[in-house]
Amino acid sequence: MSRILREERHGRTFLLTPNLAKGQRVYNEELVVREGAEYRTWDPFRSKLAAAILKGLPDDMVREGDRVLYLGTSTGTTPSHVSDIVGDGGLVIGVEFAPRVAREFVEKVARQRKNVIPYIVDARDPSKYNVSRVDVVYCDIAQPDQTEIALANCAAMLEPGGRLLLVVKSRSIDVLKEPERVFREERAKLESAGFRVVAATDLGPFEKDHAMIYAKSGGRG
Amino acid sequence: MANPMASQAPQGDAKSLQDLREKSILAAEETIRKASSRPDLHLVQAIQALDDSDKFLNITATRAAEWYGLHFPELAQMVQDNVALCRLVLAAGKRDGFNAELLQGRGLTEKKIEAILTAKERSKGGELSDADLARVRSLSSLAVELSGEREKLNEYVESAMHRIAPNVCEVAGATIGARLMAKAGGLDRLATLPASTIQILGAEKALFRALRTGARPPKHGILFQHEAVHAAPKWQRGKIARTIANKVAIAARVDYYRGSEEASIKAGLDKRLESIREKYKEPPPRQPERRERPQQRRDRPRDRRQKYRRR
Ligand SMILES: C[S@@+](CC[C@H](N)C(=O)[O-])C[C@H]1O[C@@H](n2cnc3c(N)ncnc32)[C@H](O)[C@@H]1O
Repeated sequence: MSRILREERHGRTFLLTPNLAKGQRVYNEELVVREGAEYRTWDPFRSKLAAAILKGLPDDMVREGDRVLYLGTSTGTTPSHVSDIVGDGGLVIGVEFAPRVAREFVEKVARQRKNVIPYIVDARDPSKYNVSRVDVVYCDIAQPDQTEIALANCAAMLEPGGRLLLVVKSRSIDVLKEPERVFREERAKLESAGFRVVAATDLGPFEKDHAMIYAKSGGRG
Repeated sequence: MANPMASQAPQGDAKSLQDLREKSILAAEETIRKASSRPDLHLVQAIQALDDSDKFLNITATRAAEWYGLHFPELAQMVQDNVALCRLVLAAGKRDGFNAELLQGRGLTEKKIEAILTAKERSKGGELSDADLARVRSLSSLAVELSGEREKLNEYVESAMHRIAPNVCEVAGATIGARLMAKAGGLDRLATLPASTIQILGAEKALFRALRTGARPPKHGILFQHEAVHAAPKWQRGKIARTIANKVAIAARVDYYRGSEEASIKAGLDKRLESIREKYKEPPPRQPERRERPQQRRDRPRDRRQKYRRR
């Protein structure tokens, strides 16, 4: 069952996640109470995973109890919601190599949430944080070779049948045409590595020139 | 997908997982602490100190040489480097103190040494009192010391640039890279500047003049000191400065956010420079001086048209 709550307000859909760090905010989200529990509003303009879900990708790409390898945590906006979703029984291994943004991630997310383990290292070297097998690899590192990096991480840590969420950026001039081509290329790389693309979506208008690919690794599942 | 480390995975064991988490957090905080000591700000001070000591050295050594010139005017003609002249003053004192032994081993040719000794005999210079000499000497000693300090600052800047901004160092060179960083106010600021701004950093005066009078905006500031820019024919300089600025912008970001060296940036620069030199081998047909003049109404639309065509 998904721990993500959906609400319709003024004809628009809002997403909420149950706050794992009671009373605390990570960015400028709102804290609200629903059915006696505290939730945080999930801003699709700040988080590409929220954008992807609002654009129609399934709610259950990340589930309660999942172990997630999160590459490119930045200041921790999306990772904090992933931590909410996987809950106390789950795990988020957060990797970010820039100390300056990782500081906020460590202070505001990892320190406050028992299911988050931070690593300030390069995602090109999974041996530095290969402390558990994972059910999901989430990759948003804005590198030209990020698909290769994501696949190397999957090879090292993803369970057979596990899920991969890959944010791809199309650094293009032609906003309309280019993303299609980038999709196709990335999709081909994933498929030749034994992944099956379940769904993909452009993230506009929340994120310009970005898309999310949702894939499952071969093996069982 | 056999994974040797998976067997050590703490899954299911809540206590060891929390131990691991605690350790990771401490290690992460240590990394953050190290990264936040801002060595770039020290580098910015060092490059400014280097430029300051350059000016100061120049002024001091020139003054000492000129003062000593009242006593031994011929010396300055034979020893052009003022710091070298100061060293001689320190060693010899008054004109009479010059002898062959003292002049040996200072990189002077036999001919020069002889000329100095001859000049000493029939110098047209006046007397130097002990009190005069004391002042000229200590001024000379100041200049020599400054030149030593300048050397040390230079080494510091070189090594700090390699450590803190290896990619900027590779693309722009240590001193120019450091000057760009100083102008921007630190590596963090340099990393956020657009290439167009980096291109004219240090040419603010010319830029504001251009805005006021409608003259052409400057094509380069600090980057003019870059060998590839000033050694290039005039008509290529703007393009070359632009290219270097582009690469400096990328390099600064990599240095700031990543901190690792990336050979591809320099390789990309060399390739671009090569192709500019090839493509713009010949000077443009128009007179270069005319293009320098303000208010070239006919020039501007033509430039703009070219821009559109290129896309
Ligand atoms: C677009 S941001 C991620 C935003 C984040 N996913 C969110 O939605 O809140 C990309 C991050 O990846 C990090 N990054 C880029 N390359 C990396 C690498 N090789 N290893 C680890 N982190 C990397 C960058 O420092 C940056 O903070």
